[in-house]
Amino acid sequence: MLTIRTLSRSIDWIVVAAIATLMTLGVMFIYSSGINSEGDLVSSEYIKQAIWAATGILVMLGVTLLEPKRLPDYTVIIYGFFLIVLVYTLIFGRVVNGARSWLGVGDLGIQPSEFMKIATIVFLSRYIEMSLHEGHSFKRFAVSLAIVVVPMGLILSQPDFGTALVFLPIYLGVAFIGGVSPRYLAFLMLTGSLAIVMTVMPLWQGLVSTKPALFMRLFYEAPYVYYVMGAALLALMLAIAGYRFFRKRYYYWISYVSLIGFLGLGSSLVGQRILKDYQVMRLVVFLDPSVDPLGSGWNILQSITAIGSGGFLGKGFLQGTQSHYRYLPQQSTDFIFSIISEELGFIGGVLVFALFLLIAFRLILSIRTLSSAFQRSVVAGVFSMILFHFMINTGMTMGIMPITGIPLLFLSYGGSSLWAICLGVGLCLGIGARRYES
Amino acid sequence: MSDLGDRPSAFPSGRILMLIGMGVAVFIWYASYLLYLQVVRGGEYRVRAVNITRQLEKLPAQRGEIYDRNYNLPLVLNVDSFALTIVPAEIPPDMLDTVFAKLAALVDMPITDIQKKIPPAYYRLFQPIEILPSIEQGVINSLAERLDEFPGVSWYSRPKRNYLETGSFSHLIGYVGEISRDELKVFYNKGYQPGDIIGKSGIERQYDSVLRGRDGRQFKTVDVKGRRIDGAVRDVDPPIMGNNISLTIDRNTQILAEKALGERIGSIVVLKPATGEILAMVSYPRYNSNAIIARSGNNEYARLLNDPGNPLINRAIQSSYPPASTFKTIMTTAIIEEKAFPLEAKVLCTGEISYGDRVFRCWIRKPGHGRLDLAGALAQSCDVYFWEVGRDKLGIERIVDYAKQFGFGVATGIDLPGETEGFVPTPQWKERKFHEKWLGGDTLNLAIGQGYLLVSPLQLANMMALVVNEGVIYQPRILKDIRDPASGSIISRTTTEVLSASRISKDTFKLAKDYLRGVITDGTAHYPLSTKAVTVAGKTGTAEVGFADRWHSWFVGYGPADAQNPEDVIVVVSMIEASNPWEWWAPYATNIVFQGYFANEPYEEAAAKLGLLKRPAAAIGRVE
Repeated sequence: MLTIRTLSRSIDWIVVAAIATLMTLGVMFIYSSGINSEGDLVSSEYIKQAIWAATGILVMLGVTLLEPKRLPDYTVIIYGFFLIVLVYTLIFGRVVNGARSWLGVGDLGIQPSEFMKIATIVFLSRYIEMSLHEGHSFKRFAVSLAIVVVPMGLILSQPDFGTALVFLPIYLGVAFIGGVSPRYLAFLMLTGSLAIVMTVMPLWQGLVSTKPALFMRLFYEAPYVYYVMGAALLALMLAIAGYRFFRKRYYYWISYVSLIGFLGLGSSLVGQRILKDYQVMRLVVFLDPSVDPLGSGWNILQSITAIGSGGFLGKGFLQGTQSHYRYLPQQSTDFIFSIISEELGFIGGVLVFALFLLIAFRLILSIRTLSSAFQRSVVAGVFSMILFHFMINTGMTMGIMPITGIPLLFLSYGGSSLWAICLGVGLCLGIGARRYES
Repeated sequence: MSDLGDRPSAFPSGRILMLIGMGVAVFIWYASYLLYLQVVRGGEYRVRAVNITRQLEKLPAQRGEIYDRNYNLPLVLNVDSFALTIVPAEIPPDMLDTVFAKLAALVDMPITDIQKKIPPAYYRLFQPIEILPSIEQGVINSLAERLDEFPGVSWYSRPKRNYLETGSFSHLIGYVGEISRDELKVFYNKGYQPGDIIGKSGIERQYDSVLRGRDGRQFKTVDVKGRRIDGAVRDVDPPIMGNNISLTIDRNTQILAEKALGERIGSIVVLKPATGEILAMVSYPRYNSNAIIARSGNNEYARLLNDPGNPLINRAIQSSYPPASTFKTIMTTAIIEEKAFPLEAKVLCTGEISYGDRVFRCWIRKPGHGRLDLAGALAQSCDVYFWEVGRDKLGIERIVDYAKQFGFGVATGIDLPGETEGFVPTPQWKERKFHEKWLGGDTLNLAIGQGYLLVSPLQLANMMALVVNEGVIYQPRILKDIRDPASGSIISRTTTEVLSASRISKDTFKLAKDYLRGVITDGTAHYPLSTKAVTVAGKTGTAEVGFADRWHSWFVGYGPADAQNPEDVIVVVSMIEASNPWEWWAPYATNIVFQGYFANEPYEEAAAKLGLLKRPAAAIGRVE
């Protein structure tokens, strides 16, 4: 056990400072986004955010007091608890932005899916540690994946596509550092990519290409897609048989590829059924915003315009035009980065990037010094989560990532995501502070 | 103490390096893309940001006013009105129907009209679409109060045309309307835009470029809901007002002629032969310009189009008719000039002549006029004299040549749109058209202004102008001058120009004038042209149209016949499409115009003095 004093000496204050800086920026620009075209403040979001940020820092520091070694024992309870909360939300939750994702009364409420991310990280890390002896086994891959897929499925059925998506990089990060077979992870990534691409393809072809490529139609249009899947399945069987009899490596790889094809196409068909048109549209629009300049593309075009018009030094705090004239949508949440870049310019944007890079760096470097697989996995999970949120959100505002509606951590308005990531970072800081303790 | 005894150093640093590499790669990628967006393409986006927030507002130019020749009271001016526009893309898609419905209720128009103006294909358009060209201030006020309920809806001031004088003025002045697709194709290069108001007819159309001025533009900065942001810099490009126009028309003469024609299908033209200025030009039936530009104007226009009386036609210049006996003016001039037949030599009129297998009857029927020389034949309008002399002495070629010298068969070039050319038949034309030889009977018909010959009332006025001016026709015109809208000072004025000159000698015209005076003193027009206010000379005419009960009644005359100053002379042409004997009114209408013009009396006074008010219809007889 560390005393408070030694703990305070070993905490990575650089990360805390970086986060505090980001939070300050966030509150500032949530304030800015609340100014309307007449120059009046019309929103008190910034006050709430300031309170959440301050309490968030306290939560983060408070969590460092927890003894990381005793944490694994509680991960099942945490994970189970939030799963139940998620199920409860799914039934009794409040609908916000088309997703039944909120729990609470009146203005007070939480988004359990945000906390589920952290719960999943710790429970997954616990399993990774417990199953270390299984090494690269398929069972380890499958069980660990199942731990992620269950909450992901629940969140998908809210439906909140963006939040659910975050669980994939979290899984990949944790599993990669935790030593799950990279071959399986690659398999997962390739199958997932194929599934997503082929889910979007029909709409994309219909909207963008004047003449859909005949070749591509084989992979999404009934009945051709069934023939292709049948062919993949046949190749898979033959390759498995071949591998059985001849034990040649290339049979293994043929079956590997065939299975990716079969499962990828199969899940794309399922995806086309499950995903709402507007969700697929967001992906299409990301590829070409001009497809729908006034619908989903509007957000991207306005955001790019706001960012681009900021120039090198920006228009100055509270001087943005696209934001204050309300051309920029969802300024305080999803598009907070756009208003920062408009008003602070390239300098401000790069500052945000650098702060995130710094946090990510400090987290990932701390992994090297950690002795337990659980602790390494937790840090890797939080790292993946921060990096993914950062990549998708700022990428989206610049038009190089699809619109998925996930917040920019530490900056975007919203208490749940802020507290959840503070919890996560707090765990990492606590783990890091005790790295030499053994 | 680690559970599994893993040593920290044992952890493969390759994976950590990979994750670090990923982070750095993302950072470099994103930072350079941000640099690209903000610095490399920053200028482009700054322009775009300004364009998005800037909205073009049209400042419509005031259309010029139109005056008569005295430039005192306007005939046309502008009144305050507003055009209502919608920018479809500014209406959230799920609110389109609500906004349309609310707007339809507010401005009291069927919602289908709005939907027709904004089909679904336009829903993403950022261009304002005009819904109504003119709504009142009150509607605008209630709209402004509830602007939040009407995203994308806006308006701009667009003064509306108000035609103070309608009646017979409408044909002259015309009316305005929104530019049509076809007109836009033609005029686009002249700076016309969709939604512009353009003159559709009459002076409004002829002098649209003078009247319209140039619309100004103003940029205002707006937020996403189109609300103006105060304090933002505004670029203003002020509108330039259209110029005022003064017509050659004299308001009193126009009204006099309008009332003299009354509700008879036909037309009256009053021309000043010494300058070519049109003092009055009346056509009936007519339309009301204000009714066409009103909100229900399309219905009114459709009604006018379907009216069998063709009220949209300005009969003074857009219709042509056989000139009938008025053509004898030209025949007389030709006979004198060509010395085709001795002036004193007489022809016996027995009321008819036979030609080929046909019998041609003089209008007076048997027993005929008796023996007449040229002066008598013109005065009595004897057909037989002009048949015989025209066929045997003058010949078709010379008749055609003279008809053309008098300006028949070509447009007069008056500054009004849609003028007819009329028609002068020739033997060559008949052969080409019908593959038939020109026969003597055709010459007979032409000699008394019947058959294929067609002239407009204005052309007939020009014919008389050539006689009055003794060999010159001046370009007829309706524009007197163009004036600055603010100061009223003259910017440019039209000048008297020669339209055509003839080879005929002045002596011939002098003699012809005497003969034409004879028509009034002891000829067919002796009783109808009873005015004592002025000495009149002229010629009557009644054209048979081929239907037993349809005639065209003509009178073309000038006065004073003894004028010392040519500027004093006016030519008056009346043409009435008569279907009843009591509508052979042309000489009487002309009589009233001369009386009213020279005695400076309004219609009622002039008509009363001439005893033409409430006169029993039957008492007005046919004059040839």
